[in-house]
Amino acid sequence: MAEENITFTLPDLGEGLVEATVLEWQVAVGDVIGRNDPLVEVETTKSAVVIPSPQAGRVVELHAEEERVVPVGDPLVTFAVEVAEAPQAGIVGRVPTEEAAPRRRVRLKPPAE
Amino acid sequence: MTANLIGDVTMRYVDLPPQASDGSVPVLLLHGFGTSFDMNWRAAGWPRVLEAAGRRVIGPDLRGHGGSDKPTESGLYLPEHFVDDLLRLLDALDVEVVDVVGYSMGSRLAWSLALTAPARVRRMVLAGFGPTDALAGLGETAPGTGDTPFDHVFRTVAALPGNDPEALAACAHGQAADPFVPVPRPEGVPMLLVAGAEDTVAAGASDLAAACGAGFVEIPGRHHANAVSARAFKEAVVDFLG
Amino acid sequence: MTELIERTAAPAVGDETVELSMQQAINRALRVLLAEDPDVVVFGEDVGALGGVFRVTDGLQKEFGDRRVFDTPLAESAIMGMAVGLAMNGLRPVPELQFDGFAYPAIDQIVNQVARMNYRTRGAAPMPITLRLPSFGGIQAPEHHGESLETLFAHTPGLKVVAPSDPGEAYSLLLQSVRSDDPVVYMEPKARYWERRPVRLSEPTDPIGTCRTVRPGRHATLVAWGAMVHKCLQVAELAAEDGVDLEVIDLRWLTPIDAAGLAASVARTKRAVVVHEAPLTAGLGAEVATLITENCFRDLAAPVQRVTGFDVPYPAGPLEPQYLPTIDRVLLAVQRTLEY
Repeated sequence: MAEENITFTLPDLGEGLVEATVLEWQVAVGDVIGRNDPLVEVETTKSAVVIPSPQAGRVVELHAEEERVVPVGDPLVTFAVEVAEAPQAGIVGRVPTEEAAPRRRVRLKPPAE
Repeated sequence: MTANLIGDVTMRYVDLPPQASDGSVPVLLLHGFGTSFDMNWRAAGWPRVLEAAGRRVIGPDLRGHGGSDKPTESGLYLPEHFVDDLLRLLDALDVEVVDVVGYSMGSRLAWSLALTAPARVRRMVLAGFGPTDALAGLGETAPGTGDTPFDHVFRTVAALPGNDPEALAACAHGQAADPFVPVPRPEGVPMLLVAGAEDTVAAGASDLAAACGAGFVEIPGRHHANAVSARAFKEAVVDFLG
Repeated sequence: MTELIERTAAPAVGDETVELSMQQAINRALRVLLAEDPDVVVFGEDVGALGGVFRVTDGLQKEFGDRRVFDTPLAESAIMGMAVGLAMNGLRPVPELQFDGFAYPAIDQIVNQVARMNYRTRGAAPMPITLRLPSFGGIQAPEHHGESLETLFAHTPGLKVVAPSDPGEAYSLLLQSVRSDDPVVYMEPKARYWERRPVRLSEPTDPIGTCRTVRPGRHATLVAWGAMVHKCLQVAELAAEDGVDLEVIDLRWLTPIDAAGLAASVARTKRAVVVHEAPLTAGLGAEVATLITENCFRDLAAPVQRVTGFDVPYPAGPLEPQYLPTIDRVLLAVQRTLEY
């Protein structure tokens, strides 16, 4: 398995909000967290919310200090996640395996020439 | 699950089972004025914290709010109506006793619930709430037109999608008709008060706590709108409810 | 991320022979087409940043930019509608519908617009669109991810329909399809995406609408397309052990069908078995059998046999092996023609 960095930006929090203030990080650099674990507490002009993590992985960087205003779309956090060496992204179904020797039960009688 | 309690004023509520129950009583979360269970509690990360603590969460949208019916007559928003709604909900869910956590208006209603039915409230947290009635002096004036802390709250929440400003104004007038008084205190219900250090709506919360013999936790640096999601608040509640 | 598609410096058609999977061969052909014609645009669900769920468009957006290779919403009707508009404005669209079962929402655009526009406008608005459609079964995918829609398209005048059977065919048939000014439905057999074969990266030589003889034989002709060509080759190998010499024809162009090519083969072998994954009734096998009968009536030693999927909705993944033509079912059909 190889590691890849994935950066998560401040998502659109709806209702036309364009920015949010980071109140308190619920994770620290080095933490290994699961998907949907509490990530960061932010405040918008409407309310305070806790954003769950969109990603499982190890936190490698927090891009905004507490009390900083972050515009929607700006980097919030970077995760290191494990990725398969040869990704078969999005495959639906399975790769067919070829039988070494095709099997059969029927035998043919050659035609009279 | 999310369901509706059908009645004269139908109430939407959620009933969330814990990750692993330890047999403790459910927690009833009462949101503040102009918000809803989802906005006040869910978005702030509360269900997850309480579920992880082994607690079942019951979260109504109070009448006039969220997905519940929104009548526009102020006479339907007296504290006793809310208390009736809550007792009807607990009966419908076959829940005898709960811990109650209120925020702002929800705290005032928690207090009323505990006064009306002390046997059904085991412990109670009043957050974002103080002895000064936020609605004092509202009278017949339209809320949101002045410069009191409540006017500011009203203007913010009246503009939220899904809210009905007329119903919210009726709710404000209904509650103002029966102002909060800190005596008598609900007997036999252990109480904790929590407030942001900058919360003007909850001014005097520590005095009320002292007068009631309740604990008090202050959230540094937080005001009325952003104290709800604070980790310190959640930890204090989980600790207090035990 | 590991690049699945190795890069070469020059994507131009040469005479090089390299070993490629069908995914890679199609990718290579798309690179040639994008490089040679600035009007070629590739689009569809996840074809851009992701590189396609089957990795067929891997790296194309990086190489040619997101104005020529781009993602679309999950809206097949909009994808094909966009192709019509782009074609009317002089571009050469190569849309992808991610799985054949997802073509149904776009049928209105394909049948009522793509296939008719050239006729409707008396040639003023040709539709040089190549619809890439990962097709057929064999990967045990969920419902709607495996179908056999060739009859639907072959029965829609105005469309050409082609189904490659191996990487080399996929390469040259895609070059021909995209360069053609007619709309082409290019059906990629999902089950054959992964097998690697030597591919000669040269200009196509066979004209559009010709079949090809994959294996010459004397005793009977097997006719197939897409993944069933491979199945027929397996059958022919086994039949050879029994002393039966089977010819295998890859029909590849399903419209126009090479009636003359079929007749030339069956006139020699006097027996024919057509194999397809689609259901029997009103399937393309009936058309093939009729063409052979019309052209070779006096030569035939036996009625043309059909080995097909069953007349049931295409089954979910686990039942696929019971639905698709098997080696034994094809062998039995061969035996019937030999014993007739």
